[in-house]
Amino acid sequence: MSEVSLDLACELLMQSLAAWRVAGAVERSRDGAIVIRGALKDIRIDRAPSDLIFRWVVTIGGRKRWAISLVAVLRQVREALDPGYAPNRVRVALTPLVPY
Amino acid sequence: MRADVIPISILTGFLGSGKTTILGHLLRQPGFARTAVIINEFGEVGLDHELVETSEDSFIELKTGCLCCKIRTDLTQTIQDMFQRRDAGNCSPFDRIVIETSGLADPAPILQTLMTDTGIAERAVLGGVVTTVDTLTGAATLEREDISQKQVAVADRIVLTKLDLNGAALSVLLHRLTELNAGAPVHRADRGKIDSQCLFGAGLHDPHVRSLDVNSWLAEDRRSHARHDADIQTYTVVRSEPIAAITLTLFLETLAEHCGTDLLRLKGIVNIAESPDRPAVIHGVQHVFHAPGWLKRWPSDDRSSRIVFITRRVPQRWVEALFEAIGIEVADVSVGR
Repeated sequence: MSEVSLDLACELLMQSLAAWRVAGAVERSRDGAIVIRGALKDIRIDRAPSDLIFRWVVTIGGRKRWAISLVAVLRQVREALDPGYAPNRVRVALTPLVPY
Repeated sequence: MRADVIPISILTGFLGSGKTTILGHLLRQPGFARTAVIINEFGEVGLDHELVETSEDSFIELKTGCLCCKIRTDLTQTIQDMFQRRDAGNCSPFDRIVIETSGLADPAPILQTLMTDTGIAERAVLGGVVTTVDTLTGAATLEREDISQKQVAVADRIVLTKLDLNGAALSVLLHRLTELNAGAPVHRADRGKIDSQCLFGAGLHDPHVRSLDVNSWLAEDRRSHARHDADIQTYTVVRSEPIAAITLTLFLETLAEHCGTDLLRLKGIVNIAESPDRPAVIHGVQHVFHAPGWLKRWPSDDRSSRIVFITRRVPQRWVEALFEAIGIEVADVSVGR
């Protein structure tokens, strides 16, 4: 299994903006990074060096943050672009779904 | 699970859509006799309970507000009290509860309440959501009222009432219902009359028949008519390869985290890589999810994972891309990268 392609990451981020109803554009830079041009700020996403446990580097306002997964990237991007964002935590139902 | 677990069903539908009329007819059917009813009315003076003839001691009216937003605590307390009275022999025995919501209620928070209350969880399972739609005004109501759309979108069964329309106008309404929830079978009530079994056998597990009908519950083969510009969309994500348990967990957590109230309902049967012979069934309402239930066997030869989404403006392409990305990264970790 290979790592997540930048094309897939790009598609996920584009669709994420739509799902969150956040204005912005997602594009690829000439050096291969993903760049999000949001209404509030721009974000750059690169692959992390392969000798680290992190997979991604997210640069927001000149500050670099590491992300271990695309799920973590999504959280950082949304926190940066969506000021009203309040994450929902999964709550597990107490009623059983099936009686086994 | 206790042997006397009973289903709790929700009867919802917009104001004036015929819920109470249907309930009144259902309660006269022998097969519906052992049913306790909770009616939620919105307003100072409740009338609906006067219109339903049933045993007083298995009938409760909640009228201090709308179930979905104000009196959820009252609902859980009421249900627990009903169980205690039944246990003590202080009311007529019942083996089903039906909650008739107010016409303005969002059924999702009510479902969540039923899924998460400790006292209810030990005694009941979800029995399904039945939504009434008035053929005369239903199409206009669906265009105008968001809450009406949600009532239809989360339904397991839809009942058409006041069958005054026919021809083109009815076709328009049926088309709109299909756009909102193609998976829910549409039944017709003749002046409120309808067979109770076709409505209230709608949950995944019906304790009365002690069987699981996953295919009917999912109804994913009927879900392909979502309007692309629609607020509420229904679609199915299908995977032919088994899915690692951690992938599913991360996927559901991320959906809950980012979608919140936009994830109206999710149902699915999943081929878990660690459990190839016993599929998992999953169910969630907004950010509340049941722990996966494990079936004894696959219900058919089809071993693909199928997850049905009912969402408000959550693009299918986002869901697909998210699922794929998580799957790849989890597989990447498992091979030691």
